[in-house]
Amino acid sequence: METRIPFLEVSDAIVMSGAETLYWCMQCGLCTGSCPWRLVPGEASEQFNVRLVQRMGQLGIEGFESENCLFACTTCRTCVDRCPRGVDIIGNIQGMRSMLAEVGTIPGSLKPIVGSLHSQGNPWSGPREKRTEWTEGLSIPTFSEDTEYFLFVCCTSCYDIRSRNIAKSVVKALRTAGISFGIIGAEESCCGESIRKVGDEALFQKLAESNISLYNGKGVKKIIVTSPHCLYTFKNEYPDLGGKWEVYHYTEVLADAIKSGKIKPSGDAAGRVALHDPCYLGRHNDIYDQPRELIESLPGAELCELSRNRKNSLCCGGGGGRVWMETKAGERFAELRISEALDAGANILATACPYCITMLEDSCNVMGKSDQLKVMDLSELLAEKL
Amino acid sequence: MDQNIGVYLCSGCGIGEAIDFDALSGVAEESGVAKIYAHACMCGAEGSKVIRDDISSGAVNCVVLGACSGRVKSEIFAFDPMQTIIERVNLREHVAWCQPAGHEDTQAMAEDYVRMGIVRVQKSTLPTPYLEALDKTVLVVGGGSAGMQAALDAAKAGYSVKLVEKEPELGGHMAKWHKCLPLHPPYHEIEDIELSLTIQEIESYPNIEIFKNSTIEKISGAPGMFDVALNNGGATHRVGSIVLAAGWKPYDATKLGNLGFQKIPDVVTNVQIEEMAKAGSLTCPSDGKVPSVVGFIQCAGSRDPDHLPYCSAVCCRVSLKQAMYFKEQNEETKVIVFYKDMRTPEQAEEFYKQVQKAGVIFVKTDTSKISVNEGSELKISVETIDELLGEPIQMEVDMLVLATGMQPTVLDDPILNLEYRQGPALPALKYGFPDSHFVCFPYETRRTGIYTAGCVRQPMTCTRSKNDGTGAALKAIQCVELTSQGKAVHPRAGDLSYPNLFIQRCTQCKRCTEECPFGMYNEDIKGTPLPHPTRCRRCAICMGSCPERIISFNNYSVDMIGSMIKSISVPDEYEEKPRIIGLICENDAFPAVDMVGLNKLQYPPWVRFIPLRCLGSINLVWIADALSKGVDGIVLFGCKFGDDYQCHFIQGSELADTRMSKIKETLDRLVLESDRIRLEQISIDDYYRIPQILEEFTARLEELGPNPYKGF
Ligand SMILES: Cc1cc2nc3c(=O)[nH]c(=O)nc-3n(C[C@H](O)[C@H](O)[C@H](O)COP(=O)(O)OP(=O)(O)OC[C@H]3O[C@@H](n4cnc5c(N)ncnc54)[C@H](O)[C@@H]3O)c2cc1C
Ligand code: SF4
Ligand code: SF4
Ligand code: SF4
Ligand code: SF4
Repeated sequence: METRIPFLEVSDAIVMSGAETLYWCMQCGLCTGSCPWRLVPGEASEQFNVRLVQRMGQLGIEGFESENCLFACTTCRTCVDRCPRGVDIIGNIQGMRSMLAEVGTIPGSLKPIVGSLHSQGNPWSGPREKRTEWTEGLSIPTFSEDTEYFLFVCCTSCYDIRSRNIAKSVVKALRTAGISFGIIGAEESCCGESIRKVGDEALFQKLAESNISLYNGKGVKKIIVTSPHCLYTFKNEYPDLGGKWEVYHYTEVLADAIKSGKIKPSGDAAGRVALHDPCYLGRHNDIYDQPRELIESLPGAELCELSRNRKNSLCCGGGGGRVWMETKAGERFAELRISEALDAGANILATACPYCITMLEDSCNVMGKSDQLKVMDLSELLAEKL
Repeated sequence: MDQNIGVYLCSGCGIGEAIDFDALSGVAEESGVAKIYAHACMCGAEGSKVIRDDISSGAVNCVVLGACSGRVKSEIFAFDPMQTIIERVNLREHVAWCQPAGHEDTQAMAEDYVRMGIVRVQKSTLPTPYLEALDKTVLVVGGGSAGMQAALDAAKAGYSVKLVEKEPELGGHMAKWHKCLPLHPPYHEIEDIELSLTIQEIESYPNIEIFKNSTIEKISGAPGMFDVALNNGGATHRVGSIVLAAGWKPYDATKLGNLGFQKIPDVVTNVQIEEMAKAGSLTCPSDGKVPSVVGFIQCAGSRDPDHLPYCSAVCCRVSLKQAMYFKEQNEETKVIVFYKDMRTPEQAEEFYKQVQKAGVIFVKTDTSKISVNEGSELKISVETIDELLGEPIQMEVDMLVLATGMQPTVLDDPILNLEYRQGPALPALKYGFPDSHFVCFPYETRRTGIYTAGCVRQPMTCTRSKNDGTGAALKAIQCVELTSQGKAVHPRAGDLSYPNLFIQRCTQCKRCTEECPFGMYNEDIKGTPLPHPTRCRRCAICMGSCPERIISFNNYSVDMIGSMIKSISVPDEYEEKPRIIGLICENDAFPAVDMVGLNKLQYPPWVRFIPLRCLGSINLVWIADALSKGVDGIVLFGCKFGDDYQCHFIQGSELADTRMSKIKETLDRLVLESDRIRLEQISIDDYYRIPQILEEFTARLEELGPNPYKGF
């Protein structure tokens, strides 16, 4: 075996790029053992060992840079919650990716995403002016000083045809509840959460700055978001950059509205509903109860818990930029989730994140299970009963 | 003394239901005792008053108490040992609670125990304690962390202390170190070493006399009467007990040429690092420059069969501390620690995390296989397999620190220079540390009245060395107190007996002088044993060893146990009721048999247990006596032996095992099968195995058939 020569300057650079807890790691391997990549076969599963990746980082040894290694991490946070040393593993992964991004060596599949974010302010190559196309016919108010909430719709639900239904359903529910809200429109940019995880720190800073000055300029105080990823970055990352608002995921606002009797779902029985806890709603933001309350409020709904739920929820595979990368069928976490939902006897698999919807629905179709199991956003499920 | 034996029988705790008391009294009567008395609660006010009244009226001076185990209610049944002999016959745990009530075999068992109890008393005399060893001064040898604490604690408890230190100043190794490991929560920062206050306190303490620049020339005598001569002349000092705290020395790094020591100038030891840090700067010896990258090699010569096979316990923590020295000197210095396992017990885990957070790099590898050479960019190149990477790596450093381990100072210097027949040093274990029952009685050594503390006993931190000093000082105090009253120390604390030698019949075979684990006997010029009673722990191993059977105690003798065996009634072969004698260690096996009773487990009714002070006191004549009387089998229950032996003395059961290997001769002479004797290692929590062992043994004896000597 060839002798490797550690470059401690490289590890210094990684730490400088944000992997601040890189040396806290004592290499126990609990992270690798907890990582969902252990549950599936394939290249990423074979190549990506997060313990080893961090070891290479500690020693400044190369060999971790590929799409199926360093870029495999979905930032699902399972490992972070279990690490006995309190290592910010995601921060370390992000730091290592940043170090690569600075020298322009991110995976090729991410390049168009970066380009689109730079030019259009969204990752989906949609023209900036079409950001509000989904609102056509809905006469959604524009946010002003008199509006209570600014509704920030995730880029995915602005551009993706399937996902637009989530935005529309959220709007319907908020309206029924009599909540005062408005959107800003084409000037809004992507929240930048996922591109930061991919390592493009400069791009994230640019997006965040543009959003912060826009929202502050419009007098935003409270925000409702449709995606847990936006929730995460608005709540946890923007404050340091000057964006200090009250931020809520729509499930929080709607669960409140149900409790206070502002909305009363009615209609046909919803049936057996399984809930997929999105990583960014659950582990990253600690919201577990409100989605369950929404399901329980539905007429004739029976909540059936998946075997991995709440803190132990299994990632859909879409975080950390993976939503933009290709994972082969047969190697996807979402497939395990579909099987779990079927095992739980559900006829609906509900969740509350546009990435999760994309990943889960895709797998459900690929597995040919769409006649047995319907993948739905909680907002859609609720909107049907209003 | 004329014996007036009173037999007191308790029918409480279910004993009365299990045993026919009239018949039992009849057995006592046959022995011609002065009084027989039964009560339903002997331990109650009424019952125990009867005994006390009988003693004070002079009607009774020997008490045979047939009741519960002698291990319980000892305060209630305590009488002046100088006036009264007492024997506790265990009718409760050893009969009523482990045998079916009212059965004839249960009755026979109880009767045998009463017979044996009476014989034991008949074969005892009152003690004549040894009252000549009266000195209560504590000698502490070594003024490091452990020794200073021992001296201070003994002095504060009111004892005169003599503290002997080889060096011109007190403090030991800690006085040479730059800083110490974190001592206070949150255990993140290394701390200054505060010794001056302690040293000042000791030096001005009224009852501590300090001898600096001094070593021990010679120690003669025994506990309570040691005479200590120092190397710098002067009169001898009389002391009562001794704490040995002479510390440790670093493993000889010149043996670590494989790690570059003395081959590459910038390879140094952890001790050198302390010296450099204390002197003010950590620089490469070769050029005086501050190193940019520093490596540490853990277990340098430790946990390595070619060097020290054991772990020195502190060097991992010490390297963490020294890594911080480098980081404190210059934050930019890179530190790489090559380790087998980082051993960071207790709060040191917190410190370890902190050092990781400071950016120190840890490389898990087999450090004994590291290759160290001259470097090309920096001074030293280190090549090894990073087990976490799973690949070989090569790193260069300016300076390499070998984390060497500790060896006891007694390794090649007896230090105490004892005038003992068995030699001037404390008997040692494998790696030179003094022998002790290290799990339960860590400070004990194989020389009564001499206790070890600190790193001379086992590698440890200075905090633990101080705790050790306290523990050993308390032991030393117990020793002078008990010794001055003529009493034995642990484990037979309070025993007033000591070995009596019928010296006219001694053949100078030297078995006792050699086998006594505590070196009690010196020898005169002719080779006759010269007893030093206060060195004795009363194990009676010498009694078992003496072929002439001239060693006995007022309360324990070859004749006593032999007579007890003979007092058992052995049914003839047609009755098909075998008899088994159980000779059992009183420290572990006896309580284990009590536990059998407490748990109401049953075992075959054929066995009669006789407690021995130590299985090592076994004398082959007892076996011969029992077998020629027609006893079918003999079980010996001793403690666990081997490296982690559990003997309360020193490896007595192992000695018994060796002696038993010689029993074949006796058996051959009697034409008996060797299976009739069986030795089992029983620890106290093994009680549940006892019924099974006895049942298997009984089954085997049945196969062998009855002992042909029955009825002779
Ligand atoms: C490099 C290094 C750094 C360490 N740093 C720390 C630390 O930061 N914190 C910590 O808790 N522990 C530390 N330790 C461990 C610590 O040094 C020991 O725990 C401590 O020294 C033990 O104290 P002691 O009294 O048993 O022995 P010692 O310190 O060795 O003291 C023994 C004393 O006996 C004297 N002596 C020896 N022979 C004779 C004789 N024949 N007659 C009379 N006197 C004699 C010696 O001169 C000495 O004064 C370190 C160990 C090493 C190797
Ligand atoms: S769980 Fe934490 S300490 Fe363990 S290897 Fe992973 S990051 Fe390191
Ligand atoms: S965050 Fe999730 S995907 Fe990433 S290493 Fe941890 S467990 Fe694996
Ligand atoms: S303390 Fe650490 S360095 Fe020292 S011998 Fe033990 S494992 Fe090795
Ligand atoms: S009884 Fe034990 S300690 Fe005492 S002299 Fe005999 S062998 Fe030694």
